[in-house]
Amino acid sequence: MRKQPAISVAMGRAFPIRSKISEILITIILIILALAVILPLLLPFMFVFKTRLEYNYHPWSWPTEIRWINFVEAWRAIQIGQGLLNTFYVCLGAIVCTVPAAAMAGYIFARYRSKVTEVIFYFILAGYFVPVQMVLIPLYQLCGLLNITDTLPGLFLPMTAFGIPFWTIIYRSFFAGLPNELAEAARIDGAGHTNIFVRIMLPLAKPATVLATLLVFMGAWSDYLLSLIMINSAKNYTMQLRIAQFMNQYGVDHMPRYAAATIIAAAPTVILYIFGHRWIIQGTLAGALKG
Amino acid sequence: MVNKNAKAYSMIPEQFRIKKKRDWNALVFKAALLAPAILFLVVFMYYPIEETFRLSMTRSTGLGPTVFIGFQNYVRLFQSEEFLMGLKNVLLWAFWSVVIQIPFSFFIAFSLSVFKNRITKPLRVIYYLANVLPSAITAMLGRFVFAPRHGVIPSLANKFNWQWLARIDFLGNPDLAFWSIFTVATWAYCGFYIIYLMANIEQIPKDIQESAQLDGATPWQYARFIVLPMTSYALRIVSILCIVGSMKIFDLPWLMTSGGPGYATSTLGIVLYKNGFVNWQYGRAAAIGVVIFLLSLFFTIIQFSLQRKEGDVL
Amino acid sequence: MLKSKKAVFMALLLVVAMLVGVFSATAASKFKLVVWGRDLPDDDPAHAYIKALVNGFAAKNPDIELEYLALGDPGLMDKTKVAMANNRDLPHIFQSWGGSVMGGYADAGRLYDLTKELKDIPGSAAAQQAMTWKGKIYGVAPFFAIAGVFVNEDVFAKYNLEVPTTIAEMEKVADTLLANGIQPFAVGARDKWPVLAMYMYFVNRFGGMEAFDNAQARKARFDSEPMVKAAELYQEWSKRGYFGPTPLGEAYGDAQQLMATGKAGMHVTGSWMCAQYADPSFTDQKIGFYPFPVLEGGKGKATDFMGQTDIGFAATRMARENKEAVVRFMKYAMSVEACSAELGRICSVPGVKAPNRLTEMASAAFTKAEAIQFWWDQDLPPTVTSPLTDTLQQFLLPNANVKRLLTNYEMVVEENVGPAK
Repeated sequence: MRKQPAISVAMGRAFPIRSKISEILITIILIILALAVILPLLLPFMFVFKTRLEYNYHPWSWPTEIRWINFVEAWRAIQIGQGLLNTFYVCLGAIVCTVPAAAMAGYIFARYRSKVTEVIFYFILAGYFVPVQMVLIPLYQLCGLLNITDTLPGLFLPMTAFGIPFWTIIYRSFFAGLPNELAEAARIDGAGHTNIFVRIMLPLAKPATVLATLLVFMGAWSDYLLSLIMINSAKNYTMQLRIAQFMNQYGVDHMPRYAAATIIAAAPTVILYIFGHRWIIQGTLAGALKG
Repeated sequence: MVNKNAKAYSMIPEQFRIKKKRDWNALVFKAALLAPAILFLVVFMYYPIEETFRLSMTRSTGLGPTVFIGFQNYVRLFQSEEFLMGLKNVLLWAFWSVVIQIPFSFFIAFSLSVFKNRITKPLRVIYYLANVLPSAITAMLGRFVFAPRHGVIPSLANKFNWQWLARIDFLGNPDLAFWSIFTVATWAYCGFYIIYLMANIEQIPKDIQESAQLDGATPWQYARFIVLPMTSYALRIVSILCIVGSMKIFDLPWLMTSGGPGYATSTLGIVLYKNGFVNWQYGRAAAIGVVIFLLSLFFTIIQFSLQRKEGDVL
Repeated sequence: MLKSKKAVFMALLLVVAMLVGVFSATAASKFKLVVWGRDLPDDDPAHAYIKALVNGFAAKNPDIELEYLALGDPGLMDKTKVAMANNRDLPHIFQSWGGSVMGGYADAGRLYDLTKELKDIPGSAAAQQAMTWKGKIYGVAPFFAIAGVFVNEDVFAKYNLEVPTTIAEMEKVADTLLANGIQPFAVGARDKWPVLAMYMYFVNRFGGMEAFDNAQARKARFDSEPMVKAAELYQEWSKRGYFGPTPLGEAYGDAQQLMATGKAGMHVTGSWMCAQYADPSFTDQKIGFYPFPVLEGGKGKATDFMGQTDIGFAATRMARENKEAVVRFMKYAMSVEACSAELGRICSVPGVKAPNRLTEMASAAFTKAEAIQFWWDQDLPPTVTSPLTDTLQQFLLPNANVKRLLTNYEMVVEENVGPAK
C-alpha cells in the first residue's frame, strides 16, 4: 500500500458513521484529555502570585494580590535570556551547516547516480542509525582535540553530523522526484553543473529546504544531552541547561518561585508554537512520512 | 605551441570534446558537493565510532594510561547491577510504551478523525504542544506535579485531607518512580503518535468510508475491521520508532530522579553518562555505547524488513 | 535575480566560516584570570562570601580581568573531573575541597605547587592540611565545615526534650517527636549525598575512625561489621518513619524547608546550613547546632568529627601563566575583608568574627574536634564515589538488603581501587 504525503491531507468533512450520543461522549473525553495536556502549563499561574508561606498554608486559594516578585526572582535565578540567545545561535549554526551540506549531497545522489555515489550514499545512510549516545565519549574527546569544547560550535557541529544523513535522504528523494526537462533545457542552453544546481534545482527544492530548516531548528532547540556534556561555562549555557541548573539549585520547596520559573521556561516554546503550529505539525508529518 | 594544441583539439569530433570536458567538471562538481557531508560524517561520526569500539576494549580513565583489556568491560557490565537495571528499565520502557502509549494514541487519533466537529478539530494542536516542549521543561513540569509535599498532587491531597495520597512518594518509591516518569513521558510523547496516526487514518479513501456506512457499521466496527488493518503498517512503524527511542531515553529520568532511588529509574543513557562523565570510566562508558548501538541496530533492522515487505513509503 | 540566488548561497557558506571563526579568535588585552566555582555570586545568603570575593577582587585588581564561572553543584565537580582528565580547558583556579580528590589531580601533574607562597598565610591548621598533598600546598581553604545535628530548640522545649548525647537518647527523642506528629529528621535523600553525613557518624560511632580509614586504605572491606551495623540502624530508623513518609522523593531543599517550618525536629548535615537556619527570613524557628551523639559501647568518640573544607581554592598547572595574579586571588580569598562577608560558615582565618549564634555553636564544636574525617564522597577516588552515594541512598528503602548492597559496593571498590588485604 502506498501512502501519500500527509502534507496534502485535506481536512475533509466529518465521517458520517456516528451517533449523536457517542459523539458527545467522545468529544467530552477528548476535551478532558486536552485539558490534561495544558493543565500542567496553566496551574503554575495559580501559585505564582503567592508568597512562599501563603502557598504553604493555602495553595489552592485564589491569589489575594498580584505579586510580581516571584517572576523577578525566578528571572534572576534562571537567567534564561542569555540561554535563549545561545540556543538560537546553536539552532542557526545547525541549520546553516546541515541544510546546504545535505542539499548538495542529496542532489548528487539523485542526479549523478553511479556506482561510486551509491557506495557513498550508503556510507552516509548508515549514519542515520547511529545514536549520539554511542559516541558520546569519543565525541567529547574529539571536541577537546579540536578545541571546541565549551563553545557553541562544539554543539552544532556534532549535531550537524548527526542530522546530515536524514536530510540527505529527504533531499535525495525530493530531487529524484523533480522533472528532468528543466535541467536538460538549461544544459542545452550551456548552463554548467553549478548553475543548474543553484539556479534551477535548488529553487525547485524549496519545500524540502523549508522543511529541513524548520525541523533542524526544532531538533537543536530541544537538545539537552550534548549541551550537558559539551558546555562548561555559564555564559555558554543553552536554554535547556539554564532550566536544568535552576531545577538543581532551587527546588520545588519554594513553589511560587518554581512556578514562575516554569512559566518563564515554557513561554518561548509555547509562543513559537502558537505562531507556528501549522507549519510545525505539517513539517513533522512530512518528515515522518518520508523518513 | 598553444596554437598547435588548439588546432589539434579542434580536430577532435565535437561530441567527444564536450563530453570529455564535462566529465572532468562533473567530477570536481560531485566531489565539491559531497565533500561537506562526507567531511562532517567522517570527523564527527565515523572517527568517534571507531574510537568507541577501541575505547570499549580498554581501561581508560583519562588521567592514567589506557590499557587494552579485551572484552572485560562487557563482561563486567553484565555483572553490574546498575547496568542490568538500566537495560531492564529500557526494555520495560519500550514494552510499556508500545502497549500503552500507542493504543492510547490510536484511540485519540481515530476519535479525532471520525468525530470531527467544531470542538474536536482544534484539539490536535493542543495534543501536539506537549511534544514540542524541550525535555528540561517537561521534566520541570513533572517535578512540579509529582514532587512530594510541595508538588501539585501532594498539595491537592492535603487540601482534601487524603493522607494516604499525600504519603505516596511518586518519585522516591522505587516501584512508582518509573511509572511517574513514564506518565510524564506519555504526556509528552503521545502528541506525535496522535498526529502521525491521524494523518494515516485520514488517507483512507472516502469510498471505503462510504461503503462502510452503507453497510451500517458502527464506529467500533469501522475501527476494528477497516481502520486498524489499513493503518497496521503505520502502527508498526510508530512502534519501532518508539522502541528505538526508548533505547536512548535519558533526559526525563535524569532530570526528574537522577536514575534513583538506587538504580530504580536508571536507563542505559544514564549509566553511560555516570560512568563516562562522573566516574571517569571511559572504557566502560564506551562499552555501554556499543550496547545501545547494537540494540538500536537490532530494532532498526526489523523496521527495515517491515518496510521492504510493504514497499517504499513515498 | 539568478545572481542574487548565487550570492545568497555564497553568503551562507561565508556565515558558516564566520561562525567557526568568531569563536576561535579571542581578543587579548589584560590578563584574564579564570576561576571555576560552585555558587553564583548573587544575593542568596549562602553565597555572600563568594559575592564579596568576586566583586571585591575585581574592584581591587583593575589590572586583572576576573572570569568567575559558577558551575553549580554536580556541575563543578563533573566539569573539573572532565577537564582534568582531558588536560585541557583548565581554569587557573578551581574551587576544591582538597583531600585525595585534589591529591589525584596533583599526582597527575595537573596542579601547581604554591607551597612557598601560601604556607605563611594565617589560617587554621586543619584548613591548611586539607589543601596539602604529599607535603605540597596547592591552595587555600578559607572555610571549613563539620557535620552535626541541627536541632529545633522551640520544638524540643515544647515537648520537654533534651538534646541527645547518646544514640539511645536520640531514638527516644525521635519517638517522642514522631508521637507528636513531628518528623524526627529532615534528610532530602533524592539528591543522594545528603544521606552521607549521618551514615558517616553511624559508622564512626560503631567502629571508630579506623572503620572507614582502613576500608579506604584497603585494609578492610566496605561490608565490614561496623559498616553493615550502621546501615542496618539507618534502615531501621527509616522503617520507623524517622525520616518521614517521602524521604527519597525530597531534595535537599525540601529537607531545609521541613526544618525551616518546624515540621522536622532535627537535621544531621554540614555546618554550611548555619547561615540559612539563622536567617529570620528563611525560618521563624529557633535552631541550634550540636555535636552528633555517641553510641554507648561503640568505638567512636564525641571528639571525632566529620567534616572538610567548605570553600577552598586550588591552582591548576595553568597558574604558571601568571603566578602572581593567582596568589593575589588566593590571598584575597583568605583576607579578613572577604571572609567577614560570610553569614554562616566556620572561618579558618583568625580575626573573623562568627556572624551569628549558630555559627558560633558550630565553631565551638569545631574547636573541640580532635580528629576529623573528610567527606567520603570527596575523599574516595572519583571512580567509586557515585556508586557510594547510590548505595547509601538505598538504605532508606525498607526492603533493601543492606548487607548485599555493601558487598556490591565492595566489589566496585575492589575492581577500581584494589582488593582489601
